[in-house]
Amino acid sequence: MKKTLLTLLVLALSVSAAHAGLKVVGKGDAMRLDPSAFPPAMKANYDIMKVRCVKCHTLERTIVAIQTGIAPISGQPFDRNATKAYGVKMLRKPDSNMSKPEIKATVDLMNYLLVEAEH
Amino acid sequence: MFSKSRLALAALSLTAAALLPLVAPSPSHAIPAYARQHKTECSTCHTIYPELNEFGEAYLRNSYVWPSGAHAAPAGKGEAQRTEGLWLSGIPEMLPVSFTATIDAAYNSRAVDELDLSSRSIRLQASSAFRDVAAFYLTYNLYAQDLQTGAHNNPNNASPDINELFAIWRHALKTPVNVRIGRMEPKLSLWKKSNRVITVPSFASTTYTQGQGGSQWSVDTPQDALEVNSLIGDRVLVSAGVANRKGQNSKDYYGHISGRFGGTDFSGHEPEVDLEKEATVWDYLGITVGAFGYSGHNGVIDAFGVAQERNNFYRAGAEIDLLYKRLHLKGSGVLGRDTNPDLSAGGSALHSHAVTVEGEYMFGAPVDVVALMRYDYFYNLQGATRRYIPAVAYTPLQNTKLSLEYIYEDGAQAINRTTLASLAFSF
Repeated sequence: MKKTLLTLLVLALSVSAAHAGLKVVGKGDAMRLDPSAFPPAMKANYDIMKVRCVKCHTLERTIVAIQTGIAPISGQPFDRNATKAYGVKMLRKPDSNMSKPEIKATVDLMNYLLVEAEH
Repeated sequence: MFSKSRLALAALSLTAAALLPLVAPSPSHAIPAYARQHKTECSTCHTIYPELNEFGEAYLRNSYVWPSGAHAAPAGKGEAQRTEGLWLSGIPEMLPVSFTATIDAAYNSRAVDELDLSSRSIRLQASSAFRDVAAFYLTYNLYAQDLQTGAHNNPNNASPDINELFAIWRHALKTPVNVRIGRMEPKLSLWKKSNRVITVPSFASTTYTQGQGGSQWSVDTPQDALEVNSLIGDRVLVSAGVANRKGQNSKDYYGHISGRFGGTDFSGHEPEVDLEKEATVWDYLGITVGAFGYSGHNGVIDAFGVAQERNNFYRAGAEIDLLYKRLHLKGSGVLGRDTNPDLSAGGSALHSHAVTVEGEYMFGAPVDVVALMRYDYFYNLQGATRRYIPAVAYTPLQNTKLSLEYIYEDGAQAINRTTLASLAFSF
């Protein structure tokens, strides 16, 4: 019994720790990240993401993908390969209005957030 | 003053009269049902709807199944939240139905009704994939009001009718081959009739007809057909089909091949781009080339279903589509030959040809505007016709499009100038 409780406790701690790196404020369409703990470079990248990405979709979609590791629309794994593929997709969309450096910045940020979400 | 304002309005709506026959069935084939099914926005598949972007083309070629993953979640929340019974039955969880409506204002100083506000249409669309194994696609013209050109007080309404209705068997017998059957626009051109920023008029290269009456046939005419297609290595598409038009006891045959260099492949995979390096041309460039051939027959059908005054014809075409950043170029050329184009006794053969070139530039955020210029040329039984079409289109919302175009048509018998303002929306 003690072992079971201990296992459950460890599991519960590990689950809560999984999202410790992602401080999220707001819900639904208003969902945002709290960048206060981000390194300066990632803060700058977040400034780009929160302006550019919301042209077509909410930040909630990106945050949920990072939190769950699953892209909400396709149901496919959302990992480093996926972040790059989405970045290239946005780079090539005529109406995305994103330059290559901006794409790189958002992909770097998503990769950083993926690592943070795992801690 | 009054006449000046009328002239201004005329400048807007003039060209539409020349396009009269083209306006009524103009609604796009954009399918908001897909957006509902996948819980995504229109811009996932469209630039300015109904024109498809690279991903939208991959979705189309993948039989309306989300590309790059056979296990895409239609409800957007993963397979675990699907209703298992419906999933096992292959029934969509929501009714995959959409509508597209257009409201036009046309001006043509030579028309009976110079400023015509009565042109409008509404089309029903339905499409869905059944467990990624099969799919169907339907477009049904619910209502279409022609522009007024003649002396009639009440221009004809186009009869409600099926435009396309076909079923797809994906990866038949676990092969890479997809089978389509039903009434469809045969896969010949790189672009479906609806895959354009402005759909009226349609590209001359794929819509020019030959002769009169029963000889009216164009490359993008929906037909009853059986078609097979397959992707080779994600970057080459081949398709072949046999068409069996109503009242015709002979078969038509057609084939298509296209390939893409650079850009997103036909399966929806993004190209390899090194984000660490300076931008190169190939980061943005995508070129698609295609070729097709169609061999068919038509004629005046007698009481026994036998074609009299038979016309044997073929069309052979080559096309190119180039996308570079916000610039989109399309080129299409078709050669044809009809042995009896006017279906007359002792009619003589005629060679025909048509060319379309269109350049589009998207201005993008914050104003989603596309400016385009199209040149159309075709030579058929009536002689040579040239069209020059500057146009702009704007989407204040992704499902709503305002367009303004001026169509200068220098035909074999007359010059027509029409200005067409159009509001289209899908829901």
